[in-house]
Amino acid sequence: MDKRTEICRCEEVKLGEILNAINNGAKTSKALKLATRAGMGICQGRTCQPVLEQIISYYTNQNIQETPGLSTNHPVRPLSLEELAGNRKDL
Amino acid sequence: MTYDLVVIGAGPAGMSAAIKAAKAGAHVAIIDENPVSGGKLLGQLYHEPDSGWWVGRNIAREMIAKASSLGVAIFRKMEIWGIFPKWNIMLNNGERLTTEHVLIATGAAEKAIPVEGWTKPGVMAIGAAQTLTNFHRVKPGKKVVIIGVDPLSLSVAQELKMAGVEVAGIYPPPATEVSSDKSNPKQIIQGLSAMAHLAPNALLKAAGKAANHPTIKNIAAKCYPSFGVKVWGIPLHLRKTITAIEGEKQVEQVRITAIDGNGNQKNGRTKTMGVDCVCISGGLYPLSELAEAAGCDFVYIEELGGHVPLHSPELETTKDGIYVAGNITGIEGAKVAMAQGELAGTAISSRLGLLQKGSDAISEAQVKVQDARANAVITFQQHIESGREKLAQCWHTNVQTSSGKG
Ligand SMILES: Cc1cc2nc3c(=O)[nH]c(=O)nc-3n(C[C@H](O)[C@H](O)[C@H](O)COP(=O)(O)OP(=O)(O)OC[C@H]3O[C@@H](n4cnc5c(N)ncnc54)[C@H](O)[C@@H]3O)c2cc1C
Ligand code: FES
Repeated sequence: MDKRTEICRCEEVKLGEILNAINNGAKTSKALKLATRAGMGICQGRTCQPVLEQIISYYTNQNIQETPGLSTNHPVRPLSLEELAGNRKDL
Repeated sequence: MTYDLVVIGAGPAGMSAAIKAAKAGAHVAIIDENPVSGGKLLGQLYHEPDSGWWVGRNIAREMIAKASSLGVAIFRKMEIWGIFPKWNIMLNNGERLTTEHVLIATGAAEKAIPVEGWTKPGVMAIGAAQTLTNFHRVKPGKKVVIIGVDPLSLSVAQELKMAGVEVAGIYPPPATEVSSDKSNPKQIIQGLSAMAHLAPNALLKAAGKAANHPTIKNIAAKCYPSFGVKVWGIPLHLRKTITAIEGEKQVEQVRITAIDGNGNQKNGRTKTMGVDCVCISGGLYPLSELAEAAGCDFVYIEELGGHVPLHSPELETTKDGIYVAGNITGIEGAKVAMAQGELAGTAISSRLGLLQKGSDAISEAQVKVQDARANAVITFQQHIESGREKLAQCWHTNVQTSSGKG
């Protein structure tokens, strides 16, 4: 793939940046996310995560991890402060 | 509000479960982010060899009517953004539903295939093209090419054609770090011929037959005609790929190059073809983010489509009271999803003490899932059976280790 090909479209991260991060030691999709923002966009990795996992597996020769690697946290969908405030404060 | 069961996702799996549990007397809520319930059923439209037309939106309509008549609370256009113990289901309108039993039936998402230019307007996932065409009745473009040769892309190609769209060709994706077997003509032919017997539509059937033809099969695409094989008037190319999608502000043309029987590009010479829409079909994967956020254990099983929450034969996950059904457990067709939904609905009703002979009812529902699998007219994952076996083994090991600990 051309290094300029976009991998994470939400955060506009290109393959070249991903490969740099892998060369610098990022070996999980979580590490990649922290290093490049890939997977941090509005879709929260729903589009790019399977691709990120395949890229890591290809370049590091490891199997894909059992647990989806981006470490999903609440909220799993975009949420406005107003919507969050509607949920009271006791959580 | 408190419910006996909260179902997340109103596709065939979630709807069937809600109906089953409500029939048994449970107080059920079902939530979906879309304005119309039915999930991926809504876009499905094809002719089945034995039972005639499968019109997903009519089936969805019947299920909605049934659920409403049974008193199921149906929440539309609301996203669930979290599940907190034990169990609070958070809606994005600020509401919170409380329950002891949750069914996560969030279905599947599409895998992307990054190709140069794939973020331009006019490029869409094959599922978007299906929904636009069959549900919204809007043509995704005038002249379309499809990247990705699989049961879904072939079905949608035929649907587009029926809707009057010019499908200028179906091509394998270019071989890259992430394309794996999808860009290998030999593997594609093998996959197509494996599904010839269960093809639900004429195009799939024709593609399966063509792939089973001895010349095409044996020489593994070596003498594949450069103009493609026409299936239902749609050129299916196995010796060419699309290397780039071009256009200033939106899709204007695609760049095409020849490949060998293993998918490697031959000589770097390219040609262009003018199109206004490109559909990408990279396969489906289980959409399991809520199960992950809730803390369920996971396994990665390629044959099922990706990461799936570990679950018991009764579809309960490793978190007490959280169940899964439908495509979140592995990518299969709508009828299997419905049977799984009924199984989850039965298992939960039994847990609630609403069934007299709960274990018999559960076994019956499990047999129905087996039957739905055996009679499936469409498979999305070639080795789904071995994927199911792997999962059952993982569950078994999990039970043994946790009972050993206890
Ligand atoms: C693009 C595409 C095309 C398909 N075509 C066919 C076909 O032609 N024939 C066939 O048999 N199968 C097809 N399938 C397989 C299909 O997924 C199954 O047939 C079936 O629809 C799966 O049912 P389900 O109930 O598991 O999920 P779905 O039908 O996908 O329903 C899940 C629902 O949950 C909703 N949801 C997810 N997350 C949330 C959230 N956080 N909050 C609120 N709502 C949420 C979704 O919007 C969706 O409406 C297709 C799948 C896809 C993705
Ligand atoms: S595509 Fe990467 S976060 Fe959306």
